[in-house]
Amino acid sequence: MMAKMKWLAAASVILVAAALGLTDWFHRMTFPRPARVDVIIKTNSNTDAMEFWQVLVDGVHVAAEEFRVDVRVSGPRTEADVDVQIAMVEDAIESRPDAIVLAATDFDRLVPVAQKIVDRGIKLIILDSGINADIAHSTVQTDNVAAGNKAGRVMQEYLQGPAKIAIISFVKNAASHLDREKGVREVLEGDPRVVQLDTYSVDGSEQNAYAKVMEILRNDPGVTGVIGLNEGTTVGAGRAIRELGLKDRVTLVGFDNSLEEIKFLEEGVLKATVIQRPFSMGYLSIKTAAEVISGKKVPRTIDTGSLVITRKNMYEEENQKLLFPFVNS
Amino acid sequence: MARLRLRFRSIQTHMALAFTFLILMTILAMSVASYYLTKEAVKSNVQVYTAELVNQVNNNIRAYVNGMKDMAELAAGSYVVQNFLSIRQFADAVEESDYRELVSDFLGSMMVSRTDISSVSIFGYNGQFVSGRKDLELNPNIDPTTLDWYQKAREAAGRHVISPPHVQPVFKDRYPWVVSLSLELAGRDGEKLGILLIDLNFSVLNDMLRDIHLGPRGYLFIVDSAGNIVYHPQQQLIYSNLKTELIDRVLETENGIFTGEQDGGRRMYIVKDSGFGWKIVGVAYENELVGNQRQLQLSVFLLGIVCIVIAVALSLLLSRRIIQPIKRLQMSMQEVEKGNFDIHVPVSGTFETSKLAHAFNIMVSKIRELMWQIVQDQEQKRKSELNALQAQINPHFLYNTLDSIIWMAECNRTREVIQMTSALAKLFRASISKGEELVPVETEIVHIENYLKIQKMRYKNKLDYQIDVDDSLKHYQTIKVILQPIVENAIYHGIKKKKGPGLITITAREEGKDLILRVSDNGIGMDRDTLRALLEPAPPGREGRGVGVRNVHERLQLYFGKSYGLSFESTPGEGTTAYIRFPKIPSAMGGESA
Repeated sequence: MMAKMKWLAAASVILVAAALGLTDWFHRMTFPRPARVDVIIKTNSNTDAMEFWQVLVDGVHVAAEEFRVDVRVSGPRTEADVDVQIAMVEDAIESRPDAIVLAATDFDRLVPVAQKIVDRGIKLIILDSGINADIAHSTVQTDNVAAGNKAGRVMQEYLQGPAKIAIISFVKNAASHLDREKGVREVLEGDPRVVQLDTYSVDGSEQNAYAKVMEILRNDPGVTGVIGLNEGTTVGAGRAIRELGLKDRVTLVGFDNSLEEIKFLEEGVLKATVIQRPFSMGYLSIKTAAEVISGKKVPRTIDTGSLVITRKNMYEEENQKLLFPFVNS
Repeated sequence: MARLRLRFRSIQTHMALAFTFLILMTILAMSVASYYLTKEAVKSNVQVYTAELVNQVNNNIRAYVNGMKDMAELAAGSYVVQNFLSIRQFADAVEESDYRELVSDFLGSMMVSRTDISSVSIFGYNGQFVSGRKDLELNPNIDPTTLDWYQKAREAAGRHVISPPHVQPVFKDRYPWVVSLSLELAGRDGEKLGILLIDLNFSVLNDMLRDIHLGPRGYLFIVDSAGNIVYHPQQQLIYSNLKTELIDRVLETENGIFTGEQDGGRRMYIVKDSGFGWKIVGVAYENELVGNQRQLQLSVFLLGIVCIVIAVALSLLLSRRIIQPIKRLQMSMQEVEKGNFDIHVPVSGTFETSKLAHAFNIMVSKIRELMWQIVQDQEQKRKSELNALQAQINPHFLYNTLDSIIWMAECNRTREVIQMTSALAKLFRASISKGEELVPVETEIVHIENYLKIQKMRYKNKLDYQIDVDDSLKHYQTIKVILQPIVENAIYHGIKKKKGPGLITITAREEGKDLILRVSDNGIGMDRDTLRALLEPAPPGREGRGVGVRNVHERLQLYFGKSYGLSFESTPGEGTTAYIRFPKIPSAMGGESA
């Protein structure tokens, strides 16, 4: 009789325990803890009119909502603050997120800290600008070499006779700029009409870019083409060309889109700009991070594509949305 | 193994399993049913809610568009505007500027208190441009006549045209997102004068639509009649081909609901035609329709588990309650099997089991009684047989007989010694059986004859006897030594005390299935009390007269039953007659035996 009671008691205890365990499992299946992703971009300054990053962050938030991920976005004030960004990555590592999405400000100097991310078992997704080490789970970026090719080809269309062309690079060692330059050179170096192709670095300042282009155009009337590798260099170059009234002599091809660049396009100062899809980039970086965290296989590199915007096609419906994005703040 | 199999065959296990299975099935069915019913109910609620929401949005958008239309009508019908546009040449710059001021004020007055309208402007075919907002200048790099809304309005010739949301680049330094209403203005005489442009801030619509969520991920989008997406909260994804919508099916649907499989799972599309070429489409993810579907699942699941635990415990308890009395009964039976009859099962539990226990108790007590009876009978028998044995070799009789023999031998009465000794020998031979309990009546007669012979030699003329038993009765069986104690009693208590000679007569007769031996004497007889005391059990410790007689009676009753035994008739002074009654049992041998 007592033995029976004991047996019954044991059975009910086991049953209750099993029920509780099952409930817990079910609960975790039902309400999984959202994954945490730290997004560290090149610049996170609100005052700065870097629309590119605002739109990118917008994409990050849309994806975060859709894939139920907790994101924290941070970045140095300017793209030149490499040390600040490294410190931010260190901080992020300490907070032990599930994944870190990194847009590297420097091709080489971010490598050690990126290695640390991977060593700590945190998933690493490279966004927009890569590093000099193949350690990331996935890289989401514009194929910058292809974008550079496009810029080069647009330039070719405007070339008449022997031409000197100046390439203006914003910062010395950012992977995206290096790739764009490479892409431009791939196209133009093979063109017999191009007699001179120099690259000038302007240390991350639009004002420097303006001054540099003024200097180049004043000193050498033979320069008939300028390629700005990003928004800052393009705007700086545009201002110089407008000021010098050389829009018919000098062909300016740029990258990215800002209101200023739009105006230059309308004016004809800027012949074409190669734009990326920052929204897609931000969106896909989080989507990929979520997939990596949940153990899915993801492509090593994801190209979000680029397209050439000219005065002619800028008000076409799809291009409008890319050129004049709504930023949900 | 065997124990386990036994366990599985027990009623309790069967009942517990059956109960559990039954309850499990019921709970499962109920859970599933309630889950789906609830889900359906919530789903249809959400559908109604979503449809209403889409309607509301539609009404809001129409209100905006209708506001624009009203303004357009007003402007188109205005004399001031018509006049201004039909004048080819102004008298002077002052007149022109006054006129412009007038028209601008008129357009500006329409915009008052309409924050949703970003601008109202007129582009005259005569080259005039007037805006309701005086701070607006034309963008020098843009030719208005190349823009979509301008060309469409010309084509529509007097009907208003509503554009999809677009960037309005026509004003200097401004690139607002607007929805444009454009209309070609005409004079009274039908002369075409210019284009009226009313821009609605798209951010008004955007803000309104962006905050509408149908479930955690659901949203609203708008398409125009050509299938172009007018508004979509994730427009960037659409253009990047990261997301697709079922535009074709939306266009086919006038007003209504359909569901479709897309990259994000099943989605429900609620389509509403706005009436001016746009379709408002609500999209809800089917698996999110029931907002707390997971919660619902969880609670149903939890409830099910709790019910099952309770059910299993209950069924175990219930079956135990039913089975326990039966088990107790079974255990008692095992005890009885082992031979313990001193058992009483408590009568409790259900009606059936208590009945069973009651019957079992009665049965056990009956068996106990019978067993006791058998033990008693056996003991009695043993005692009687011992007595019989004692009776056979009554020592006094033997001493007396042997004394008589010695005495006769001393007197040289050799013949008598021989007679007596031979009678004694025959007596013993007749009484010593070969272990069997029953002997033929004949043997009993031989025995008593020799006994009487010896007694006669001792008592001489004092005693005489007669034995008259038909030979046809002599083969019936009887127990041994039944006549001698009675005859002995007749001699010692009847004839010996009498004056003069006594006679003992032994006869036999049949009466139905019984045989009756009759022993009568003509001694002193007995009074009633003595007679009655003769067959009653003697008080313990007082073995006296009649012990042999009573022993005969008891043995007869033990062997043949209560209806057999001894009975006496006596008259004091005249003599006593004893009847020995026992059933006729033919000898196994058939005839007489030696």
